Amino acid sequence: MSQSSDKKEKVSKPKYNMWQCSGYMINLAWREKEKKVLVLCLLQAFLVVFSNLVNLYISPSILAVVERRSSFAELITTIITFVILLLFCSAASSYVSSNTLYGRVSVRGAIIAAINKKSCITSYPNITDEKFIKLRSKSGQVVRGNREATEAIWGTLTSILQNGVGFIIYLILILSLNGWLMLVVLATSLLGYFINKKLSGYGYRHREEEGEISGKLWYQIMQAKNYSAAKDIRIFGMKPWMEEVSSKAITAFTAFHKRANNIYMWGSILDLVLSFLRNGFAYAYLIYLILHNGLSVSQFLLYFSAVGGFAAWVGGILGGLTTLYRQSLDISTVREFLDYSEPFKFEDGKALPSSMDTPYEIMLENVSFRYPEARDYTLQNINLTIHNGEKLAVVGLNGAGKTTLVKLICGFFDPTEGRVLLDGQDIRQYNRRDYYALFSAVFQNFSLLAGTVATNIAQTEDNQDVSRINDCLEKAGLTEKIATFSNGLQTYLNRRVYEDGVELSGGETQRLMLARALYKKTHFIILDEPTAALDPIAESEMYQKYNKMTEGCTSVYISHRLASTRFCDRILLIDDHGIAEEGTHSELLNCNGKYAKLFEIQGKYYREGNIHEQRKQITELS
Amino acid sequence: MNKENKLLSYHKAWQINKRAFTLIYKRYPQMILSRLICIVWDALTPYVGIYLSALLIEELSESRDTSIIKNLVLIILCSITIISLVAAFLHKWRDTACAGLYYKIQQILSEKLMDMDYEDADNAKTHELYDTIEQNRNGGGWGLNRVYGHVEGILSAVLTLFGGIALTVTLFTSRVPYSSGNYTILNHPLFIVLIIAVMLAITYLAPMLSNKARSYYALNSNSHNLGNRLFGFWGWLGYDNDLAADVRIYRLDFICDKHNNDKTGIFGSGGMFAKLSRGPIGLYNAASSAISVLFNGVVYAFVCLKAIGGAFGIGAVTQYIAAITKLSGSVSTLLQTAGDMRNNASFLKLIFAFLDIPNRMYQGSLTVEKRADRDYEIEFRDVSFNYPGSENYALRHVSMKFKIGERLAIVGRNGSGKTTFIKLLCRLYDPTEGEILLNGINIRKYNYKEYLSVFSVVFQDFKLFAYSLGENIATNIEYDVKLATQCLINAGFETRLKELPDGLNTYLYKDFCKQGVDISGGEAQKIALARALYKDAPFIVLDEPTAALDPIAESEVYSNFDKLVGDKTAVYISHRLSSCRFCDDIAVFDNGQVVEHGNHDKLITDKNGKYHELWFAQAQYYAEKA
Repeated sequence: MSQSSDKKEKVSKPKYNMWQCSGYMINLAWREKEKKVLVLCLLQAFLVVFSNLVNLYISPSILAVVERRSSFAELITTIITFVILLLFCSAASSYVSSNTLYGRVSVRGAIIAAINKKSCITSYPNITDEKFIKLRSKSGQVVRGNREATEAIWGTLTSILQNGVGFIIYLILILSLNGWLMLVVLATSLLGYFINKKLSGYGYRHREEEGEISGKLWYQIMQAKNYSAAKDIRIFGMKPWMEEVSSKAITAFTAFHKRANNIYMWGSILDLVLSFLRNGFAYAYLIYLILHNGLSVSQFLLYFSAVGGFAAWVGGILGGLTTLYRQSLDISTVREFLDYSEPFKFEDGKALPSSMDTPYEIMLENVSFRYPEARDYTLQNINLTIHNGEKLAVVGLNGAGKTTLVKLICGFFDPTEGRVLLDGQDIRQYNRRDYYALFSAVFQNFSLLAGTVATNIAQTEDNQDVSRINDCLEKAGLTEKIATFSNGLQTYLNRRVYEDGVELSGGETQRLMLARALYKKTHFIILDEPTAALDPIAESEMYQKYNKMTEGCTSVYISHRLASTRFCDRILLIDDHGIAEEGTHSELLNCNGKYAKLFEIQGKYYREGNIHEQRKQITELS
Repeated sequence: MNKENKLLSYHKAWQINKRAFTLIYKRYPQMILSRLICIVWDALTPYVGIYLSALLIEELSESRDTSIIKNLVLIILCSITIISLVAAFLHKWRDTACAGLYYKIQQILSEKLMDMDYEDADNAKTHELYDTIEQNRNGGGWGLNRVYGHVEGILSAVLTLFGGIALTVTLFTSRVPYSSGNYTILNHPLFIVLIIAVMLAITYLAPMLSNKARSYYALNSNSHNLGNRLFGFWGWLGYDNDLAADVRIYRLDFICDKHNNDKTGIFGSGGMFAKLSRGPIGLYNAASSAISVLFNGVVYAFVCLKAIGGAFGIGAVTQYIAAITKLSGSVSTLLQTAGDMRNNASFLKLIFAFLDIPNRMYQGSLTVEKRADRDYEIEFRDVSFNYPGSENYALRHVSMKFKIGERLAIVGRNGSGKTTFIKLLCRLYDPTEGEILLNGINIRKYNYKEYLSVFSVVFQDFKLFAYSLGENIATNIEYDVKLATQCLINAGFETRLKELPDGLNTYLYKDFCKQGVDISGGEAQKIALARALYKDAPFIVLDEPTAALDPIAESEVYSNFDKLVGDKTAVYISHRLSSCRFCDDIAVFDNGQVVEHGNHDKLITDKNGKYHELWFAQAQYYAEKA
């Protein structure tokens, strides 16, 4: 991304302003049936102001009683009244604040669910869109913890409310005494606030610098606990390296905070100068009133406390608004993410015709594809028909575009040019999710769910078909392994989540993914390098079972092990952005092209002969 | 783990907190000192204001001498200003000294992870322990980071308490004059006892109640942690681009939604803690806060009655009220902090269980001769091994010898013990039975670091870091540019290296640098190989180095193999048996044993042998010529 557009992004206004974002959150709490969040906010603000007032009046009132040398009864009544009020305030606010968390977590949870849902179902090309990825990762941060905007906003709204009400009450109180005093207090509070904000903004303005350093420190901590790195760290003696990186980062971190704190200190110094002036003025004026206008000492105490407390309300409101502004930027990001436009048709698309009468056939018609930001085409002018029940293999070098081809077939990407047709109809018109329902797949990256073996195969926790699960485990060659677990199908996988979970090896996980694909039992099955982690015998078994496993399905098998392809009806060799060769294994060998060459390179050493000559021949070939 | 959540006795809790505090203090004395000095200042100085204001009010209500008032006001304003000024400097010192404290404390754990024996680092129990520690930290902030805060809390409370007492001594000593009739009864010492009794009762009850409320969280920290982990899993599944295809094909949004919209989850509004908070947690907290107020009420009454009785003036009333309010707060803070320390002690216990994992591996002192001729010989003598906690032997009676300059291939099925063999060879584990010899001497007798310097390994799950390419090769901040470049070239990375914008200074991945490069699996494998070459150790071990490579890249590795390895000894694990053809020696593993041993031409002739079976499982598909 160029610099100018970077800058533009910074000045670009958020789509939703502070009030829209607050409104959105309030509305969300209402819709999610979490009205208690709002009620508790109001209660909390009310209690804070109320208890502040009780505390403001308690000392002066008691003092007044003593000053007047009132009766015993009056004294006790006054004290009991205040004690009851205080009792009520502290009990109620303590109870309320013990209960605020859960509703707020649930509202944030609803946003987490919405963001995750959007991420799970958004049109596939969006996930390679840089703007979308940025919004997604930022949105993810914004919901990550209690202190993030989507939950902390309730505290901010409460704070603005309570400070606003407190401000008005104190304002009236001081104003009732003297307008000038009020002006001095207001002016020093505002001045102190704004200058301090400017100074303390240093950290915020330089947050990226700080974030970069703390990111490095955090990375170190994550690496130290990375279990697969433990071997490398020991063998290569990496500890001094790691420690040096950390200590460099700590030095930079300290230097940053030293700079920041030097600046913040001026804020504190300014504050003490201002409060010197404010208190001096208040003392002078109030003492003058005592000496000449008969102000009582208890009133002196009341007004002086009010003057001292006033700045806090002003700071509270303005600080609250600043925080609300920052938080609404974050919430606006979430909303922009949730609003992100969908290039694919989903619920607004046509329903798929049922395949009962006509078996499905997929056709790629003059398909070319270029990744959105890329200069060059990954695939060009592909014409391909995948017949019903066909076993297709796709081979090629790393980076040739095998996986891209499959993504076009599955409808993850739409072609840049040309069309993908299902039974002659452009798939773009259908509800894309219906289309995905036709496929099952084993991709190179797979998700081991936090759940049982059965859940991982059925991909749901409800209505699991146990006999089908067992059948698929059998086909994938996992029955014996599962039998060794005392809880069988109900054994938890995923150690990250379940402490008693079972860890499967790479090969076993690959088989589990195969069982899952078989369980889904769809029309098309896609297998992307499903044998990479298997030993030679397991690999060979897989080849031999392949036809049985994919019986009745149309299948696409991607591999760079050329041995695997002979079980397929047709092999496509992807090279030079297109289908370079096409045919059965023996046809391709006979035509003596690229496929034959690759096969020769891979197979040469498996044949008898002089190793040195073979090596020479291969060097010539490649 | 449930046992761990039981609260420790105060005595034990104290000891463990002391140990943790000492640990942190010894490492970072300046940080802790700066914090404690700030606490002393912040706790004591408020009383100056209280005392002086009381004098002022006294003067205002009694003699009203203008010059005294003027002086008092000036003294108040100046002393408060000086106090704040000193505080500003102290806080600046503290905040600067403590920058990154959170990370520094994390480093204590990270260092341990890197220092412990590999056996422990690889143990699932260690991971569980570490994960629990981490979740306690993330979930409730429990652990080492709370220790100094608690000490600060206690120090602050104690100082506030003493300050408060100092300012209220006169409340009890000043007597109501006899002219005040009934009020003189307040002079009776019983009142002092009564007030202290009320104070003790309330200061005992209030924190007890609130600790009771807190203990619900601590006691439920297990379900709390599982809740967090589940939430951490289902809430973010969609963010992983690598899984996006999987998620769409298998409609994982359904199962995610089911979990994410479940409000009965641990912290949800229908969950366990929400219910507990409406009930006991909320009520205990409310009762605790309410009860503290009662003490204030009793003391206020006592102060006022005595003042009406004429024991002291109005200024003193304000002084006592302010001091008592602070003092009563400090007692409950003190007890609450003590309760928190006790809760935290059970979490600290886990941390020490982790930090105290001993390094049991025997460490010898022999140096490994750096021989110019690199004439090393390794021998396995009847080595058996089982992983700690496992019943089955991963290796059984393995005996073999190999010399420098040889190429050893290790083949076998998944789980036959190949990788375990490597781990023993590099002394990541010690054999359960038998011994491994280097030049005729048991490897345990060598200095561990020296012994490790003999090996370079590319593990199957090797790891590169998000720092510069050069640093990754040298595993050091400083590196020999020429050598690093040469190693990359030898590893087949030359073309890509030329494309990299900053050459060796290019950052891998984009974690820290926007110009960082993403690397494919094949490229990563080449970099890892270059790293192994840079180390220039006499033994180089490669575990499945071609798994991610296509036929052409694979054949390049094969044909460069001799050049790569040079005069080093190479041990090569592969599922691609074609690689065996280049090796002088092949060890076939099956069920933890070496079942066959020899070169390809010899092993292939045994038609019933394992090697034959493995070979033909693959070779059959390549039988015909193109």
